[in-house]
Amino acid sequence: MQDLVAYAIKEAEAQGADEAEAYGASTAESEVFVENNDIKQAKTQQLASMGIRVILNGSLGFYSMNRLTKDSIKNAVSMAIKIARASPKDRYNSLPGSSKKVPTLRGVYDKAAESFGASDAAVIAAEMLESAKSYDSRVSVDGANFSAARGTHILANSRGTKLAEKLSTFSWTIMGMAIENGDVSSFDFQSGVSHSVKGIDVRETAREFAETVIGSLGPRKIESFRGEMLLTPSAANELVQEVISHSINSDAVQKKSSHFAQKLGKKVSTELLTIEDDGTNIEGLAASSFDREGVAHRRNIVIEKGVLKRFLYNTYTARKAGVRTTGNAGGSTGSPPSVSTSNFIVKEGKSNLHTLVSEMKKGILVSRFSGNVNPINGDFSGVVKGGKLVEGGTIRSAVKEVMVAGNVFEALKNLSGISKERKVIFDSILPYMRFDNISFTGG
Amino acid sequence: MIDRLLSLLSFSQGASYVEARYQSRIMTEINYINGDLDKIRIVEHAGCGIRTLVAGCWGFSSTSDMSTSALRSSLEQAILAARVIARSKKNKVKGLADSKMARGHFTLKANGKLSDVDIEQKIKVAREAEKIARKHSAVIKTASCTYREILDHKLIVNTDGAEVEIHDSKPEFSVVAVAKKSGESATAHEGIGITGGWNDLFRTKSTLDYGTLAAERAAKLVEAKHAKGERATVILDPGMVGLLSHEAIGHTVEADFVLSGSIAKDKIGTKVASDLVTLVDSGCSELADNAAGTIIVDDEGVMAGRTAIIEDGVLKSFLHNRESAMIFETSPTGNARAFQYDDDPLIRMRNTFIEPRSDKLDEMIKETRHGYLVKGARNGQADANGEFMFGAEEAYLVENGEIKALMRGASISGNAFEVLRSVDMVGNRFQYDIGTGYCGKYQPAKVDGGGPHIRCSAVVGGLQ
Repeated sequence: MQDLVAYAIKEAEAQGADEAEAYGASTAESEVFVENNDIKQAKTQQLASMGIRVILNGSLGFYSMNRLTKDSIKNAVSMAIKIARASPKDRYNSLPGSSKKVPTLRGVYDKAAESFGASDAAVIAAEMLESAKSYDSRVSVDGANFSAARGTHILANSRGTKLAEKLSTFSWTIMGMAIENGDVSSFDFQSGVSHSVKGIDVRETAREFAETVIGSLGPRKIESFRGEMLLTPSAANELVQEVISHSINSDAVQKKSSHFAQKLGKKVSTELLTIEDDGTNIEGLAASSFDREGVAHRRNIVIEKGVLKRFLYNTYTARKAGVRTTGNAGGSTGSPPSVSTSNFIVKEGKSNLHTLVSEMKKGILVSRFSGNVNPINGDFSGVVKGGKLVEGGTIRSAVKEVMVAGNVFEALKNLSGISKERKVIFDSILPYMRFDNISFTGG
Repeated sequence: MIDRLLSLLSFSQGASYVEARYQSRIMTEINYINGDLDKIRIVEHAGCGIRTLVAGCWGFSSTSDMSTSALRSSLEQAILAARVIARSKKNKVKGLADSKMARGHFTLKANGKLSDVDIEQKIKVAREAEKIARKHSAVIKTASCTYREILDHKLIVNTDGAEVEIHDSKPEFSVVAVAKKSGESATAHEGIGITGGWNDLFRTKSTLDYGTLAAERAAKLVEAKHAKGERATVILDPGMVGLLSHEAIGHTVEADFVLSGSIAKDKIGTKVASDLVTLVDSGCSELADNAAGTIIVDDEGVMAGRTAIIEDGVLKSFLHNRESAMIFETSPTGNARAFQYDDDPLIRMRNTFIEPRSDKLDEMIKETRHGYLVKGARNGQADANGEFMFGAEEAYLVENGEIKALMRGASISGNAFEVLRSVDMVGNRFQYDIGTGYCGKYQPAKVDGGGPHIRCSAVVGGLQ
């Protein structure tokens, strides 16, 4: 692969590109799927792909493919150049300067992954299923998977950057419901991730899933009210993370679709909220030494005690804004670099979950949010899944079909609690988050 | 190539079933935002996915290397994958239901081959539609336009006799406009996604129409108030009917969902909806041309025709692949679909819709004392217990038989079957309208849906 990436750069220069970048990835993956309370299938695959970006007279061309021979690379380069010739010029198109000194991030590759095969994945998937089922016989696992992947990502460009890094990732999900005499609970989804074999803990994920679905059996209808909303890390991921990730993205700022565009240095939340983006935090799925353009990942404080500190940039948007990239070029080999969060991390709070609940007068603990969130204006409207009514500091009962609507930016001004406990959800690390003055509509 | 795949099947030692699917996909995507070319890319993704059934266990492996030796080793891996789950899998696959295996060459109809239209032309339509939306009026602050096409060449062979070659062409075009005024903002979408060619894509509306319509709507919406939350009579437009059929009913009748206890489980032969409701999922483009979810043959080599899920209010059929059809002792319905070569076939919908009846939209409005006319299907979700929620771009308040104020940001929710039981009027004009969307279930799938306008009762959500 390293040779082919170098060949792509040489070929692009020979065909007339002013600048060129090739990003390659090869992965070996074993994955086992669970469906309807039983092991369904095992899957193994070898994937290799490359994305070639060329800049010609300020215009950009991009072509990606997964047939990696010299001939197909040569063809891909000429297609990328053809696209560049047909595309308008943009003076901000550019590659980052040479990044020969990217510090190596430890903890993202486990040698033990090399001997971890499909049969190991099968054993762990079975263990996860068994853990959920043995928690309570009413638990029904609709689907689950366990995936073990190891591979290399490689980046080279015409400015002399040559980077390669091995990564190993174990990830798993479990979803389903609880069923009791025709009463079907809300659907729940839980996940886990680790870069090392030792970090695999499917039992805890299965337990949390089972506990949530059993807890949402026998829901009661409630009347509409305005009160507190306590989001689990999963619900915070669905509701809050998406909106903030969009708003701190320099691409959205430049396209005038970020609510935070004019708010640098201003308060966007209560003081409880501190958010950082950190591609070097090895707990998160997105951890790696360098970003999609070969720039070193780093820790960026985005919101500190409620004040907006910075936006996230790749080379293109940084150049447009006259600042330096924050190492947030994202995307796979199938796309030119975008701007994206790496690991989105909300700093833990001072209270534990128990305290957050005990302080509530009347509100709902939201396990999952199912609905629409508009990342541009922050409006959300949807259904509470696995909701529980909290009254006088105590969890009372599961609730049925409650709709919740509001605005995330308004809600951040009413953020009244953040838990000490946090969960890793793929590339987010999130606590429980409590908001005041939210509108719930009973069915 | 097909000979190479066929000869591979003879090496299937120990497997009771082997299927090999070659798929070469070329995806082109162009995206203009605020006057700038934001993204342009071509992605080629080609290779072979091999699925095996060994002693009642499924194994899957894929490779992008189409050499005989690489295919052979991928087949070995797929057999090995099936063997590693033999110990932990409790209910072994009993077999696959018989079905006449498709053979032959299928090319999905396309007027104006996409590969004959050069990249400059595709860039131009995206640029112009974005520009006309952005320049529409002062309140339009941002606009974007996406052109995307998926060209597939597929070969499907299996040890039960399937031998299929398919050429498919699915383009889509959509414009998004965002209006802002006195601190409020509103987003509107106008787009189309089809199975067909360049001329099919722009047959009913021109590129510029899409831009103008999106901008006009955003400008109207930014002035609109939010709907208040209440249970109300709603008239759904064809797109919303498509989304309801897909999200709220379709998923609950996918046989894999049924097996894990969906609400539709014991309901075959029972009345689940109003007599007026006949709800269909088809791999062909029934009632109107160019439906985006058209496949003709599924990825197990089964012909993918019309399946009536609900007929005159009675639940008639689930959606099956060959494995689930065997369990339910019925025939496969051609719903096994894989998105790319390296995805394994799952039970997925195709074009899902409610069939038209005789009511006119005017009459539906006239006969509504208080309710909403809901338009513009946005994304939605549904649970196995039939609860669903989806978004609507526009909700017009209907009072005493007349359309009144436009509301925005509404979501519609309820229990799918309760909502279908409440259907009291079904329109006479049919349309597919969710072809720009992708359905997600472990992997994406291009689907479509539609219907006539229908009148029913549901919870309309909004700010209190």
